[in-house]
Amino acid sequence: MPKIVRRLATMAAVVLVGGLLSATLVRLAPGFDVDEQQLDARLSSESVATLRRARAHDRNIAGFYLHYLGRALRGDLGESRTLNRPVRKLLAERLPVTARLAGFGLLVGWLCAVLLALGATMTRRVACDLAATVLGGIFLSLPAAVLALLFVFANAPAYLVIALVVFPKVFSYTRNLLAKSYNLPHLLTAYAKGVGRLQVLIWHVLPVAGAQLLAVAGISVSIALGAAIPVEALCGIAGIGQLAWQAALGRDLPLLVNLTVLVTVITLAANWGSEFAGQSFRTSEA
Amino acid sequence: MKRRPLALVVFLLLSLSAALGQSGGELRFYLHSDPKTFDPLLVADDASETIRYLTGGVLVRVNRRTQQAEPELAASWKIARDGRSITFDLRERVYYSDGTPFSAADVAATVQRLMDPALHSPTADSFRSGAGAVRTHVDSPARITIAFPAPVAGLDKLFDQVAIVSSRSANKQRAALGPFYVADYKPDSYVLLKRNPNYWRRDAAGRQLPYLDSVRLGIQPNRDIEMMNFRRGDIDLINWLDSEYFDRLAKQSPSLVHDAGPGLDSEQMWFNQVPNAPIPAYKRAWFRSTNFRRAVSAAVNRADLSRVVYGGHAQPAVGPISSANKFWFNAKLHAPAYDPSGALRLLQQDGFRLQGASLRDREGHAVEFSIITNAGNKPRERMATMIQQDLAKVGITVHVVTLDFASLIERITESYNYEGALLGMVNMDLDPNAQMNLWLSSAENHQWNPRQKLPETAWEAEIDRLMKEQAASLEPARRKTCFDRVQEIAVEQQPFIYLVNKNALSAVAATVANASPVVLRPQTYWNIETLSVGVQTAGKR
Repeated sequence: MPKIVRRLATMAAVVLVGGLLSATLVRLAPGFDVDEQQLDARLSSESVATLRRARAHDRNIAGFYLHYLGRALRGDLGESRTLNRPVRKLLAERLPVTARLAGFGLLVGWLCAVLLALGATMTRRVACDLAATVLGGIFLSLPAAVLALLFVFANAPAYLVIALVVFPKVFSYTRNLLAKSYNLPHLLTAYAKGVGRLQVLIWHVLPVAGAQLLAVAGISVSIALGAAIPVEALCGIAGIGQLAWQAALGRDLPLLVNLTVLVTVITLAANWGSEFAGQSFRTSEA
Repeated sequence: MKRRPLALVVFLLLSLSAALGQSGGELRFYLHSDPKTFDPLLVADDASETIRYLTGGVLVRVNRRTQQAEPELAASWKIARDGRSITFDLRERVYYSDGTPFSAADVAATVQRLMDPALHSPTADSFRSGAGAVRTHVDSPARITIAFPAPVAGLDKLFDQVAIVSSRSANKQRAALGPFYVADYKPDSYVLLKRNPNYWRRDAAGRQLPYLDSVRLGIQPNRDIEMMNFRRGDIDLINWLDSEYFDRLAKQSPSLVHDAGPGLDSEQMWFNQVPNAPIPAYKRAWFRSTNFRRAVSAAVNRADLSRVVYGGHAQPAVGPISSANKFWFNAKLHAPAYDPSGALRLLQQDGFRLQGASLRDREGHAVEFSIITNAGNKPRERMATMIQQDLAKVGITVHVVTLDFASLIERITESYNYEGALLGMVNMDLDPNAQMNLWLSSAENHQWNPRQKLPETAWEAEIDRLMKEQAASLEPARRKTCFDRVQEIAVEQQPFIYLVNKNALSAVAATVANASPVVLRPQTYWNIETLSVGVQTAGKR
């Protein structure tokens, strides 16, 4: 079986299992069966019973999942029970918002991390390295939600929060990788022979570190998506992160299953994409 | 000297303009979620309710200031002696925003659809007084009679919630009889309402209302962002403010905040009295004891809750009806006094005794229980902590448990796996009939012990009888007597330990003319027709 087919089959299996796990967890979560509207004192017992019946419809998780898959194959992703809107429409409206947020965040986070890591390793000054490490450590220890709140009050763009979440992880990995690369024996020899720093970086360091850095790129997509949930919820940004938060609070089964499937697909695609890019990089280097 | 008369004329014109409101402008404020529906008959959430209020034309409107029913699309109405029917004489030459004429046929179609049992409209449930169909009889294009299978108490005021939908318009969403119609909706972003060009109402000077050109309802779930954008002038009002935000804003701009006094909503706690609830039998026995509930009630310092948790923007609650409800509040009742010694005396009557700092029941069990409340509601979490401290003074140990709302609802409505709960009650309606499903022992929302086949206590049976009697009576005085007694029983028995009535706090920008916040929803824009936004500010935005 060609490798690509095996990959796609694995991806489909992971997505199916991920979706089923998500559905099962939501079904087992306390409060799955209830609706906030039940507390409306104006509602008669018959209306409350109807609300209950509407929720009971999705109680059989196997039945729900098979039905969901059948509809999904026809392009129907169901209807959100908290927002009363088709899930497909909700995702189409909100995915670009999150893509922009996470995209800008990743770009800024990576740029800062790589530039600082390069600065810290190339200058080989302890103060510079220490300052960069402390900065990275601070952002690593601050939860995304706290950063998001600070940014709300400062009226700063929310993608910077994603950047600050991604930055310390990418920075520490890149710095270690570059430090290791710079300590390779042939580079020490090159330095001894008077080869310029930029030349060493372009011809000897980046080719070695590049493939491994590309592997981190895939992981950083998952980090950015994870951070998007608190960031969007707190900053009032209508992306899929906020949607996930609302769906979790409302035990919105159709929405949560679709979001899980979507995030699984994006994460897998990003990881395999970076792996493929890394392999191509190594091949071209060889 | 010559300039003085001119200045006087300009001054007078400006004053008149301010008094009457300026035409034009866009009012901006936030909804905290997307409206779940634009169908006015299916409204159940706050955002949809706002759209309904601003766009829906109703036959009768409850004046939010006087709390009296006033003619709207119905020029007059008459309730039959037996209370089973109501006849409306409609205004003539009234048109929907899309130009289609309004007639009795629209009222009939709306009522028939509203009362369809398959629709499960919360609004319709208020009209259901007995089994059987609701009939409409169109006497003429301007006259309709609606007949109910059984008498409906407070019938005319119920029509405040019924927006009359066009039976003929092709695009029903754009056909509105209210001051505005929905012109645009971008999910997760905004709802744009534009002035209804055919709105029937005129001001005292004969000018067509509303003054505003449009209302932009941004969708913003985050209260911090709402507050920040209000300060920046990006929005013109905040309809409901938390006391903490209120005080913060009051310090900076005292003229922008409004405390209209105690509102209709209440905060209360109760104990689980469900017979098959998964709690120890001895605890259930405590919770079922009137003396125990009264003792807990007396041991809670409501004045401190109002002062500390709400910064003084709340009043100690008396019972199920707030003093804001002018007609139905039983003025003879007073909030239970804070009296820890009295609480201990009541507990002693039931065999409880203090052993050191710990209260023990007759069998020697230490008196401790948990109170569940919803996580993330800061005032409620603080109240629970203060109740914990108050009850510690009479030897009772309280554990505060915060849960997300879905889990909490599941516990209080399905599994009954809780001991005490602290929640609030939102009162949309002035009439006690709106609380029917709370007080009847057979009801779903009879929180402390719901769905009883037969009332388990004499006082619950008495409440059942009184609630049914008031609902069947057409005499306001008789109804009031019955419901006064219900309030007395609620205070005597303390099934709900009412804590505070929060004040109606709001903020309105200085550029909004004619705003006059009240305690009833929608507090700040109840008189939307006469609100206007300063032109100079609108230009800046």
